[in-house]
Amino acid sequence: MISTNKITFSYNKDQVFHMPDLYCEAGSTILITGDSGKGKTTYLHILGGLLKPTSGAIEIDKENMLALSEKKLDKFRGKNIGIVFQKSHFVSALTVLENLEMASWLATGKKNSARAKKLLEQLDVANQANKLPSQLSIGQQQRVSIARALINEPKVLLADEPTSSLDDKNAEKVIELLTSLSKEYKAALVIVTHDSRIKEKFINKITLI
Amino acid sequence: MIAKLAWKNIWFKPLNTILSVILLISSVAIITTLILVEKQFEEKFTKNIDGVDLVMGAQGSPLQLILSSVYHVDAPTGNISYDSAKVWMQHPFVEKAIPLAFGDNYRGFKILGTTADYLEKYEAKIADGKIFENNFEVVLGSEIAQKLSLSVGDEFYGSHGDAAEGHVHEEYIYKIVGIASPTGKVVDNLILCTIPSVWQMHGDHGATESENLSHGEEGHVHVEGDDHDHHQDVTIDEPGMEITAVLLKFRNKMGIVTWPRIIAQNTKMQVASPALEVNRLFSLFGIGIQALQYLAYGIMLISGISIFIALYNTLKERKNEFALLRVNGAKRMQLTQLVLIESLLLCIVGFIFGTILGRVALVLISNSAEQDFKMSFNPYEFLWNKEGVLFLLTIGVGIIAALIPAIKAYKLNISKTLANA
Repeated sequence: MISTNKITFSYNKDQVFHMPDLYCEAGSTILITGDSGKGKTTYLHILGGLLKPTSGAIEIDKENMLALSEKKLDKFRGKNIGIVFQKSHFVSALTVLENLEMASWLATGKKNSARAKKLLEQLDVANQANKLPSQLSIGQQQRVSIARALINEPKVLLADEPTSSLDDKNAEKVIELLTSLSKEYKAALVIVTHDSRIKEKFINKITLI
Repeated sequence: MIAKLAWKNIWFKPLNTILSVILLISSVAIITTLILVEKQFEEKFTKNIDGVDLVMGAQGSPLQLILSSVYHVDAPTGNISYDSAKVWMQHPFVEKAIPLAFGDNYRGFKILGTTADYLEKYEAKIADGKIFENNFEVVLGSEIAQKLSLSVGDEFYGSHGDAAEGHVHEEYIYKIVGIASPTGKVVDNLILCTIPSVWQMHGDHGATESENLSHGEEGHVHVEGDDHDHHQDVTIDEPGMEITAVLLKFRNKMGIVTWPRIIAQNTKMQVASPALEVNRLFSLFGIGIQALQYLAYGIMLISGISIFIALYNTLKERKNEFALLRVNGAKRMQLTQLVLIESLLLCIVGFIFGTILGRVALVLISNSAEQDFKMSFNPYEFLWNKEGVLFLLTIGVGIIAALIPAIKAYKLNISKTLANA
């Protein structure tokens, strides 16, 4: 469950973003759309705790995230928020499986290899587990980053343009995986996109203007 | 986990760091070798002059006198008359006087005429057999016995002079009666016999008299009169004989100060202080060693800069990775740690291989020094204090090189990095 209240943000004095409030239950999906430059990615970064807004409140699982100290926020983010980026980033020196294990270790202090393997299985990339991320196709990389976002069973799953670099078939598959897995892991799914292919699939939408 | 990641990062793109590590290895190796050589060299040199206050010998370079008569690495300055040396040897100031007569060699190992006091001075015991008593009985230094695999009862002919290829004296045969215990000093590489053996070997040539005169080498014991019986052994009381040098230990320390002048004024001999001459030698060496040391520290500085550049460059490439780690819950400090550990791992790898390489170099140096100077170095010795300082220095270089990249990693703006990716 995630909800926001009157978030504003500014990079400088001239331009202030007023982010519309959002509310998303565990297991359901909300889409944030809007043209380029309207602050879609900024909003996602604020929701992910990567950027501090000027004012407002974000409640994740009944905890006001913005009231946390930086150290606690790092921990909170690792545990409760999973992010899928437009372009997949990995620790290039580690294998796919090690990347997932690293994500679980950083958040919880334990390597959850069992869940990592299960997720890779669910995302149909189990046979790539011991390869380096750079050896995977873009579609496979995207699926691995979904697995990594879900490894700590987060309360919120954020996806930043998850389909923009994928073809129709892969885009559809990724969206399907995101929605079904967020339901399974009871995470609120927030997708930021301008991809018209997925806009009509969801009813819950916020448009940034 | 962070350390493991650091380790994997280093080897993921080894070319980035290989230069830094090679530089580090070379500087650590040079410094390690210098530390060990300097220490063991000084130790060997000072160990051998224990109990020798002054050395009396023929006039010439005092350093040469010390090098030849104490360390046996140089040619002697010449001979002195045993009769006039005896006057000083029996002086009440003198506690112990050990006469030395340089004779032949056996396969490059010097045969030295002396007294039993010589073994005692170097704390060498007779490990096998007995001490030499009669002429042409010899006691072998422990290393010679081992290298030439000789044992008590074996016999050999000596070659004339210092060179192994010298004229072989077949008139008399040397007989091994004892083998000395190892001491780590020069005595290990000497063959010891009585002084009259040396006299007799060179005095009793008879038929080869003309050849005897033409030896003409400095510091070689010759007999002035050859009027003694061929079949009778020469004794220490033979008049008009020569020796090469005398090692003196004083009862009255005044003698150490006054004798150099007195002897120089009253005789054709000189006395030299081993401590003084060895110090002079060290200060000569010191300049070279110091220059090499500066060079090694310079290389270490360059390796530090190289580590810095490598880390700084990879940091640029890996910004996204770092941001990602932060997204996954890594604290700022953990990224700083990652950078520091990477640098320290490089330094530790560099130090370990540098220490090993330094010792390999020492073995090589030791082998050549062994051939030329009968001096060997021990590569397995660890000088914890000096090498510890070197280790800390290496670690220090690693920390300083990683400082700016580590701060950059600490200050990384996640949102900006990811938005621009």
